[in-house]
Amino acid sequence: MRAGLIASVAGHSALLLWGLIALPDAESFATKPVDTLPVELVPISELTQLRKGEKIETEIREVAAVKPTEAPPREAPQPEDKPGESVVQQPTPPAPTPTPEPEPTPEPEPEPAPEPEPQAEPEPAPAPEPQAEQAAEPEPAPTVEPEPQQAAAPVPPNVTPRTKPTPPKPKTQVAEKPKETFDTTEIAALLNKVEPAGGSTSTTQDQASLGSRKGSETTPELTVSELDALRGQIAQCWNPPVGAIGAESLVVRLKIGLSQSGEISSSPEVMNSNSNPAFGAASSSAVRAVMRCAPYNLPIAKYDAWRDVIINFDPRELLGG
Amino acid sequence: MNELVQSTLTAQDGDISFFALFWEAHIVVKLVMMGLIGASIWCWAIVVDKTLLYSRLRRQMNRFETVFWSGQSLEELYGTLQSRSNHGMAAVFVSAMREWKRSHEGARPAIASLQQRIDKVMDVTLQREAERLESRLLILATVGSAAPFIGLFGTVWGIMTAFQAIAASESTNLAVVAPGIAEALFATALGLLAAIPAVIAYNKLSSDVSKAVGRMEGFADEFSAILSRQIDERG
Repeated sequence: MRAGLIASVAGHSALLLWGLIALPDAESFATKPVDTLPVELVPISELTQLRKGEKIETEIREVAAVKPTEAPPREAPQPEDKPGESVVQQPTPPAPTPTPEPEPTPEPEPEPAPEPEPQAEPEPAPAPEPQAEQAAEPEPAPTVEPEPQQAAAPVPPNVTPRTKPTPPKPKTQVAEKPKETFDTTEIAALLNKVEPAGGSTSTTQDQASLGSRKGSETTPELTVSELDALRGQIAQCWNPPVGAIGAESLVVRLKIGLSQSGEISSSPEVMNSNSNPAFGAASSSAVRAVMRCAPYNLPIAKYDAWRDVIINFDPRELLGG
Repeated sequence: MNELVQSTLTAQDGDISFFALFWEAHIVVKLVMMGLIGASIWCWAIVVDKTLLYSRLRRQMNRFETVFWSGQSLEELYGTLQSRSNHGMAAVFVSAMREWKRSHEGARPAIASLQQRIDKVMDVTLQREAERLESRLLILATVGSAAPFIGLFGTVWGIMTAFQAIAASESTNLAVVAPGIAEALFATALGLLAAIPAVIAYNKLSSDVSKAVGRMEGFADEFSAILSRQIDERG
């Protein structure tokens, strides 16, 4: 038995030793500090109330607008691609090449023009100078012509020489117009591009936005929980006229003006009326409640939203109706 | 708030080294672990001891059988074996021969019920031998069946403390619980570590015992037949 015990103890201690040697190398796992998740209170009205804007737009912007629908098309085309001039611009590249040759070409073309020389002879007056030029290049002329014509569109063969002068005009127009129009459109385009980047709610520049035309303008909204807090604060101080006849129907609608410190700035105003004789007591109890709980805790950042608050004092909620 | 949460979480760094798992455990879990390690040591001691014993017994029986069936006279064999302490077949043989001798020693040999006496004596010797072989085998069986439960108890206890740690840290982060649970599961691991070899060894050793005892019984029957023939021939 002793031999067995010794062997067993030896075996176990060997195993333990091996474990001590082999396992401490196991990396200790350090738990990483957990980041706390920031929780933001989001007004639910963003979901329930549609914003004012265009249905087509995909992007929701801070400022909703109806007018700016014209702006995007202006914004989209680049200054050079004005719709009216886009056709004219195409001839511009070939323009330099036809310019030297319009004068020689019209003369041969209107007539059958197999031979430029006989034409030059019957018209002696204009001829002398062109003849000198054409004489040198009478035959190459027909060959050279087709090239510019192809580039400048099929106009030349059909049209009389009058039309030919026109291409040069647009060229000058194109050259001049950009300089004039660039200024206005570019400024407009720049303005349009700058505004969205600004992104503040107070910008007056309109920008198309996703939403409905009946939607409300953006104003800071109180979150549901903030509204509940206000409601709860007032409800604590409210003693409704429970004993009155028809107390359940005594809904009082109060309009309260609040200052930034949460105090009541203007005396509460009863917005509705009721034939119930107890309504006077009910409304005064509501006013009392509002006055008693005076300093209200509301986020100053959203002061615009709670400067004027309308509160419904409904006894049914309190009576568990 | 943020700092508070971080401090409570970083406090529980997990060290899964062999020793850390043991030392950081609750005292109950520690006791369970120590008990299981002790059980494992004891089991292995028994296994080693029994294995050695059985192999030695098998060798002795083989040697005895060859000598017994070699045609050597039983008297001589008894003479040589009588002086030492015998086990197995030799013990059965010696006890039967002793009874035989004693029955013939007196002036009036008691042969009438000699056969039954010899059988009885051999039975008793056989039983004693079997008991000697089977001793401590039950410990193996007990450890094999109980060790997992003991380890489970340690684990349950460790998990209880781990969950209390969650409650204390007020965080549902798994990282807070994980080290405690890992440490608790170590107890179950130890329990299984002790139980598995114990169960296997018990099955092996008990089958060895029954084989050896069966062999001795066979020899006892054979020897009883030989003696019975002798008695009848003499009588």
